[in-house]
Amino acid sequence: MSAYLRALRLVNFRNYVDATALLAPGLNIVVGENAQGKTNLLEAIAFNVTGSSPRTPKENEVVRWGADFTRTEARVALDGSTDERSVAIGYAPGQKKRITVDGASATSLTEYAAGGAGARVVTFFPDDIRVVKGAPSDRREFLDALLSSLRPAYARAALEYAKAVAQRNQLLRRIRDGFSSGRTLATWDRKVVDLGKTVLAGREAALPVLEEHFKDSLRTLYGPEKAAIRYGYSATLEEYSEALREAHSADVERGTTSVGPHRDDFEVLLGGVNLTTFGSQGQQRLATLALKFAARDYVREAVGEDPILLFDDVMSELDERRREYLAGYFLESTQAVISTTNLEYFDDEVLRRTRIIRISGGSILETATDGVRK
Amino acid sequence: MATYARPVERLITELSKLPSIGPRSAQRIAFHVIRGKKEDAIGLAEALKEVKEKIKPCRRCFNLTEADECEICRDARRDRSVICVVEDPYDIGPIERTNEYRGLYHVLGGALSPLDGIEPEDLRIAELIERVRNEGTGELVIATNPNTTGEATALFIAQEVKDLPVRVTALASGLPVGGDLEYADEVTLGRAFAGRREL
Ligand SMILES: Nc1ncnc2c1ncn2[C@@H]1O[C@H](COP(=O)(O)OP(=O)(O)OP(=O)(O)O)[C@@H](O)[C@H]1O
Ligand SMILES: [Mg+2]
Ligand SMILES: [Zn+2]
Repeated sequence: MSAYLRALRLVNFRNYVDATALLAPGLNIVVGENAQGKTNLLEAIAFNVTGSSPRTPKENEVVRWGADFTRTEARVALDGSTDERSVAIGYAPGQKKRITVDGASATSLTEYAAGGAGARVVTFFPDDIRVVKGAPSDRREFLDALLSSLRPAYARAALEYAKAVAQRNQLLRRIRDGFSSGRTLATWDRKVVDLGKTVLAGREAALPVLEEHFKDSLRTLYGPEKAAIRYGYSATLEEYSEALREAHSADVERGTTSVGPHRDDFEVLLGGVNLTTFGSQGQQRLATLALKFAARDYVREAVGEDPILLFDDVMSELDERRREYLAGYFLESTQAVISTTNLEYFDDEVLRRTRIIRISGGSILETATDGVRK
Repeated sequence: MATYARPVERLITELSKLPSIGPRSAQRIAFHVIRGKKEDAIGLAEALKEVKEKIKPCRRCFNLTEADECEICRDARRDRSVICVVEDPYDIGPIERTNEYRGLYHVLGGALSPLDGIEPEDLRIAELIERVRNEGTGELVIATNPNTTGEATALFIAQEVKDLPVRVTALASGLPVGGDLEYADEVTLGRAFAGRREL
C-alpha cells in the first residue's frame, strides 16, 4: 500500500513564515514566478518525509533567515484507506531534530529515514544532473542514498565504513610520518573490509535490477538506443582483502586508502557512449531522470510501495514529446509534486486531472483542482 | 563578553573545561554557586580534592579504587578465570547491574583511534596480555563499545592473544550499533552477555 501527503504545513521553512499546502493524490503542479518558493516547497516535503534536506548538508540553511527554528507538519494518508497519520519535524540549528509520528518520538534518524514516516520520496532537483555529469562521488552518493533509504543496515554499514576508512587513512599518514609502528594496520584492514563488503554486496545486488529499470525508462524517455549501467570496481568482493593488503606500501606513501567501495564508480552508457564524458546536456538530463525513475521502480519492487515523486523544474529544457511522456509518468504515480514557472508546458487533458498550487513570495495563494489555466 | 571579578572569571573558565559544559552553562553554574550556601560550595571543592587525592587505578585491573586493588579484584567469590575487557571505568557499572557477570575486569583506558592518535601503547593492552599469562585466564570477554573504534580494539586484542590458551569472546549484537556501552540499558546488555560470540 502506498502513502501520499494530504497536506504540509511549513513554519519558518526557507522563505515561508507559516503556510499550508493542500495536496492531492496523483499529479500536483506547483506554479509561480522565479524566486517565489517552488523549490523550497518541494524541499520541505522531502525534509518532512526523510528527516533531512535533499538539497544541502548544511541544514541550518533551511531555517528562515531571522528565525531560530523550523517546523514542518504533514498529514500522511494511506492509499485506499481513511487512516491518516501526522508526522512533524522540529529543528533548531545546533540541536537534535524532534521527529514525531502521531505524537510519538521517532527512535533514530536512520530508522526514520528508512520509511519511518510511512511514506517515501524520490526527488529530482536540476542540480541532480551531476549524478550523470559529475564526479564518481556524485554517483556513489546516489546509490548509497537509495539503498540507505530502504535498508537501515546498509545505511549503518556505509556510515561506519566511511569512519573506518577515515581511521585507516589517518593511520597510514601516521605510519608514513613515523608516528605509528603500524601494528594495527591489519586490524583496520579487517574492520574496513568487513564493513566495505556489506556496502559492496548491497550495491552488487541492487545494480542489475536498477539497470533493468533504467533501460526501460530511458527507452521511453529517449529512444531505442541500448542503455546500460556498468559498475567500475577498484576491487571485487573476492579480491577485496587481498587487494587492500597489496596496496599497503602505496597507501602508506599516499596516505589514503586506494581500494574499496569508496573509490568505485559506475558508467552510464547510451549506445555504447559514456554519457558522463560525451553526453549532450539533454541526454544527461534524460539519463538523470531515467535513473530517478529507476530508483522509483526499485523502491516499488523492494517494498511494494510507490514513492512520492518530487521533481523540481523538470519540464524546462525538454522537447514537447518528452514532456508528454513525463506528464504520463506523473499522472500514474500515487503522488507526484512537480514545479514549473509555466503551465503552458501541460495540455488541458493533463491539467484537468491535476491539482494546481499557486505560489507567490512564500505564500500559497490558492489550490485549484481541475486546473484552470489563468 | 561581560567581564566579572577575577575569581568569578576563573571559576567560569575552570567549569567550561568540563565535558559538555559550554560557556553559557559554565556561567549559569558559577552564579548558582555564588548565590548558594558557603557550605555547599566548600563541600563541592572538598569532594573534588578528595577524589583526586584518594582515588587511583587498581593495580590489577585499572578500575578506580581507594585501595591498591579494587573491590572486585579483592572479592574472593568472583570467577578469576574470566576477564571482561572494557574501555573505561564507568563501563563497569552497567555490566555489574545486569547481574549476569561474575568474573574480573580489565580497563583499557580508551580505544584504538588513529584519528585521536591513540595507539596500542597508549592503552593497557600489554598489561592485559601480562595478566592473561600470569593469571591463567580461560576467557576474555571483550566489551568495548559497539562502534568503529571499539570493534577495531576488540579485533586487535583477539589478534594479540591468539597464541595464548585463552578463549576470546565478544558481546552478542543486539547492542545499538555505533553506540556506547554507558547508554545501553540493562536488559539489552544482559542479553548481550548471555549470547556472547567467539571472536
Ligand atoms: N533560509 C531562507 N530564509 C529566507 N529565504 C530564503 C531562505 N533560503 C532561500 N530563501 C529564498 O527563497 C526564495 C525562493 O526560493 P526558491 O528556490 O524556492 O524559488 P523558486 O520559486 O524555486 O524559483 P525558481 O523558479 O527561480 O527556481 C529565494 O529568493 C531565496 O533567496
Ligand atoms: Mg526553483
Ligand atoms: Zn581491580
